[in-house]
Order: sequence, then structure tokens, then C-alpha cells
Amino acid sequence: MRRREAVRFLGAALALPFLPSGAEAAIEFGKQLHRRLDDVPFRTLNPDQQRLVTQIAEMIIPETDTPGAKSVKVPQFIDLILTEWSSDDERKAFLDGLKDLDVQAMAMGSPRFVELAETKRGEFLTGLEAKRPQKEGAAHAFARIKSLTVYGYFTSEPVQVDVLKTQMFFNGYDGNVPFTPRV
Amino acid sequence: MPDTYDAIVVGSGISGGWAAKELTEHGLKTIVLEAGRPIDPAVDYVEHVMPFQKRYRGMGNRNQQERYQQVQSQCGACDEYASKFFVNDLDNPYSTPEGKPFSWIRGRQVGGKSIMWGRCVFRWSDLDYEANAKEGVGVDWPIRYKDMAPWWSYVEKFVGVQGRREGLAHLPDGEFLQPWPLNAAEQKARDVLLTKFNGERLVTNMRLAVITENHLGRQKCHLCGNCYRGCVTLSYFSSLNSTLPAAKKTGNLTLRPFSVVHSVIYDPKTKKASGVRVVDGNTKEMFEVKAKVIFVCAAALESTRIMLNSISPEFPTGLGNSSGELGHNLMDHIMGGGATGELPWAKDRREVGRRPDAIYVPRFRNVKTKHPDFQRGYGFEGRAERAGWERGSHMPGFGASFKKSLIGDLGPWEMTFDGFGEMLPRHENYIAIDPHLVDAWGIPALRINCAYSSNELKMQDDMVVTATEMLEAMGATNIRTFKENNAPGLVIHETGTARMGRDPKTSVVNMHNQVWDAPNVFMTDGACMASNANQNPSITYMAMTARAVDYAVGQMKKREL
Repeated sequence: MRRREAVRFLGAALALPFLPSGAEAAIEFGKQLHRRLDDVPFRTLNPDQQRLVTQIAEMIIPETDTPGAKSVKVPQFIDLILTEWSSDDERKAFLDGLKDLDVQAMAMGSPRFVELAETKRGEFLTGLEAKRPQKEGAAHAFARIKSLTVYGYFTSEPVQVDVLKTQMFFNGYDGNVPFTPRV
Repeated sequence: MPDTYDAIVVGSGISGGWAAKELTEHGLKTIVLEAGRPIDPAVDYVEHVMPFQKRYRGMGNRNQQERYQQVQSQCGACDEYASKFFVNDLDNPYSTPEGKPFSWIRGRQVGGKSIMWGRCVFRWSDLDYEANAKEGVGVDWPIRYKDMAPWWSYVEKFVGVQGRREGLAHLPDGEFLQPWPLNAAEQKARDVLLTKFNGERLVTNMRLAVITENHLGRQKCHLCGNCYRGCVTLSYFSSLNSTLPAAKKTGNLTLRPFSVVHSVIYDPKTKKASGVRVVDGNTKEMFEVKAKVIFVCAAALESTRIMLNSISPEFPTGLGNSSGELGHNLMDHIMGGGATGELPWAKDRREVGRRPDAIYVPRFRNVKTKHPDFQRGYGFEGRAERAGWERGSHMPGFGASFKKSLIGDLGPWEMTFDGFGEMLPRHENYIAIDPHLVDAWGIPALRINCAYSSNELKMQDDMVVTATEMLEAMGATNIRTFKENNAPGLVIHETGTARMGRDPKTSVVNMHNQVWDAPNVFMTDGACMASNANQNPSITYMAMTARAVDYAVGQMKKREL
């Protein structure tokens, strides 16, 4: 990482006259890890499943004036979690849930979820969300995709740096700052 | 490395760091023996590492944790960023009876657990010191508030403690730096509860060992909010950030990492300890270090383990165990009772800066009136905060407006009260050497036998009730109560296994933390506690350590030691 970026990223220029050497070393180390993650191919999701997960993730967080889930590699993050982090049972429940999404799409007149009309897909997911939390099936898969999409999106570098502009240095604490939502 | 010093300090954490600072500043050539590795703040502190810099974005390396840190990862701070500050459970085994778990959380490195500690610092009062005697529980403390007050002042001035003066008799004020203000929602909570509970239930600023102004060469806090991972500006107190550098400055300090102390050596001729046996953490070879005075500050259970392993013909069940109390009366606190709710106010206000800790509700049970169900009391830690994007996985909806709300809006102010209650000392809660278990260095390991009793569990029930009452009094909605079923140990305030007392027949150390069996051995960490109050304990260990060093040095000057 170039030093200029490091300074901006930490917000260091705002509050501190120096960039701690430890933080810089940590960032460089982190960047190496991150590059490695970028290069990782999909290892659990097959191409059909990739398309399905990508489409749902992008429906949850679409590209607007800010990046969407796909462009910050949320599907790759979900694959990483399925491959290296989830237990065998959790991975199976997730993949079975993806299957169930297609099975239920069939009842709506399409062989696959990804081939449903856009409005129908939206209605379908809204219907799944209205159900009580499920441990299996399509509703479970959607809940998992949603939570991993939100997490993977907002912890990604482009979103942390350019959208949220996460700061690590504050000059002081203020708990009474006027706030108007930007929605 | 010479093998003889004026003083040995076992452990480099909160207590060991203070022992090192005080002994070296009194001119004693001191060696600190630390079991773990050295820590270089420039490399090892990771508070500014971002989630995208970690492979699992901070969700933790689950496979590694399940293999090596099943116990340690029960502590929230043992996460993907900071798990390196916690021990490997396979190298550091202990046993518990079937169905009686104990969560023993440990940090073995220079700085010990002071790197990841919670940093909440409270004084005790005589309500706490007199309770054992008044209730006939355990043994009476041989000291009172007046004995400790000057030493709390002494350490607070060095540590840098932010806090708000409240003038409470049962939670005395200390030497406070200006605290961060309460946020808009917490201020309103304070105002409302003052009226509704007639001043009895008080929301006050957390008393915290994090500096809000530059202090003794350390920079004021920059509010990144990740204290448990280290601090490059040295803004929170740890032995690594504060006491060890002070000790080093004297020129009298030798710090030896990778030095796992096995036991204390007793010399029957002098009726004192002559030194310690140490296993080199890397070569696993045993060697001895000698000194005139020994401070055992390895954290309560490790210190007690060392003493239980210090077997000689004169002390066949361990040095310090003449009373039979060494290892007994183990206490922790009880946490995990409380409630969260949405506050109806301050919707047009937000926070800037991530305060690491926020508010405290001092104990209000059994202060003025007697509670029918339990003895002693509890305080609440808590905060009011608004969730950002983190609320997304539970927020209904998806799509462009969902996304926009997560980026540009905040959740409601949610206030949490989480109780921390006192655990009574009981003889049947004890540690002993497990005859069948050794650690990676061949040192006999512990068997821990400990459970909460009905007094603690009733207190936890009451935490849920009173937290809910406070939220209801504020008009909070969507109130969710919680009552966790934690094993003891998880609060990481384990204490009491070498208790202080007036009588060598019923206690392990005297009022100066001096081991009755060997007057040149001092135990000043949590092991010495005769009761545990409900307050977070570390500042008390610091003050007791400084007080004990003062006494030890005085005795050495008088040639009594």
C-alpha cells in the first residue's frame, strides 16, 4: 500500500502528527492477506450456485451510486466462509437451501430461481423473509446469504474506505452530535 | 545472566508490573520472570487492523480456535485480531470434574492480561471490607479502606483514571482525570433514573484506565475503540505501556521472557525462600534464580499453582499451605444478567468517536436496606448506542433503499445494563494439583473445582429484574432480557486462593501480603483476596502490590527480611 493511501485510510492526518509504524506494518501485512483472498477461486460453490448466490447478494445490496455486493466480491467471501469456516453440517444446510430455492422457483413457473422475472424474485425473497427463522431450506439459505452479504459488503475494503470512510483516529469524543438520516 | 538478584518478580502483568516498578525504583536489582514471549508494541499491537485485512474479516479463525483455544475463545477478546494474546489450551491444560466447568482465561506474554484487560477501575469501601466479619463469611479482612486509600491514590495518579466524582460512600471517588461525557441518550437516562429511583440507581461515567489527556508521556486516547488489541499511543494502562518502561528506566530491571516458574525454593536453615525454580520456555531446561525477596504475581491461579508445587519436607502440601487454605476459597464474579431496550429519545443525536467503555450503575442492593434473597450486591456495566450497518442482517428488507438506510441512517438508541455481581468465598470451591496432568513444560497442572451457589444465581435473577425496571422507567420499548449460563472463570476476576487474614491458622498471607510460611515471599495478585466485592478488581491488586513493596523494602532496611 502506498503511504498516501495509508494516511487517508487511517484518517491520521485529521488528528495525529505521525503515522504509527506499527499500524503501517499491520496494514501492509493485511494487504498481502487481502491480495491472497482476491486470488482464491471458488472452491465450494459450483458455477450454477455462484450465479444464484451472486444474484441474491446483488438483490440485497445492489450497485447504485455506490458499489454493489458483486463488485466488492461478496460471493467470493461467502465461498471462503463456506469452504474454510463453516462446519460440514452448516455447509450442507446452506447448499441444500440453495437447492430448495430452485425447487420452490419451479412452483412459480420457472426451472430455476435465477430465471424468474425480477419482480417475482423480489416477491419470493420477501415471502421467505416473512417466515420464522428456519434452520434449513430456502428461507435458511436466504437468511445466511443476507447476513453474510451485509457483513462481507460492509467489511470490504472499498466500502470501509470509500463509502463508510471509517476513521481510526478521533480528536475527542462527542456523544451529542446533531444527526439527520441520509436516506 | 547472573543468578542472584535483590528481588524476583514472577509474572509481568498488572501486579507484576507494579512490583517491578516499585522494587526497581527503590533501588533493588530485580528480575521479572515472565512465562510467555516478549511483545513489541510496534509489531504486535493490532488495534488499527481493519476487518478486510483479516482472512475471515474478524469472524475468527474457527478451525484454529476449535483446535487450540476452545477455552480461551469463550472470551470475546480472543478473536481473529487478538487471539495471539491468549494461551494455547493444549500447552496449558487443566482439569475440572465432570459437569463442573471452569473457564480459565490466560495471557502468557510480557504484559500478561493487562494487554487485553477491561480497564474498569473502582475502589472498594468498608461496606466491602467489613462484609465478611459482619456476615460471618470466610475470614475478616485485616485491612480497611483507610489502609488502602493512600495506595489507591498513589497508583491512580500514575495509571491515569478517568471518572466522575459522585461522592458515594460505598464507591469512593478516586484521583480522576476528566471523563468523556455521557452521550445524549445516557445523559437523559441518568436524569430520568435519578428522579424515578430517588438517586438510588445512578447512571455514571465508567471509571476507566484510559487517559483523556496526555499523561506522563502517554498520549490521550484517540477513540479507535479497540483497546483489547493494544494501543500504539499507549493511552490505556498496561504494564507494557506504563509500569515496565518505568522499571526499565531505573537501570535495575532484568526482564526474562520464556521463563516458566515451577516453584519456590524453601531454605529450612533461614526459614525463608531462597529463590525459584524456572523452566526455560524454549529449551525446557530447569534452572534456579536466587533473591532476598520474591513477589509471586503470576495471576491468582498460576501463583497458587506455583505455591502448591513448592513442596519440601517442611511443607509437603505446598509452601503457604500450613493453614490448609492454599487453593481454597476460589471466587470469580457472576455476570450475564440484564436487559437491552430501545430508548424513546435523542433520535436526532449521534456519537462521534468510539468510546471503549461507557457507563456504570454502582451497586444499590444491600447498601442501605437488606435484600431478602441474597447477600452482597452487583453493579451494571452498560451503554447506549445506535447500530450502523451491523443491524442489517436482522433488519427486514433488501435492495437499494435497504442499502441506503444501512449507509446513511442509524438504528434507535439501545441501552444495555449487564450486571457484575459478587461471589462469596467458599472453602469447597478450590484448586489442587492434578496428579495425572502436566503442562507442555512438565509442570504439574491444576484441577479446578468451582461452582456458583444459590446466592450468586439469585443475584443474577435480580439483575434481570432491576435492569428491566430501569428500562421500563425510561419508557424503553422492545426490551429483551438475558440470563447467561456461564461457567465461573469467564469474568476473568478469579481470586481468593491464597487469602489474606489475621490468623496463620486460617489464612495464607498476612495484612502485608506476606506468606505466613515464608516471610520473604509476597503474593499480591488476586490470590490474596479474602472476598471479591462486586467491583472490577485490578486497581486493587495494583494498590496492594505497591503497598506490599513499600512494606517489604521497609523491612529490608530494618534488616527484618
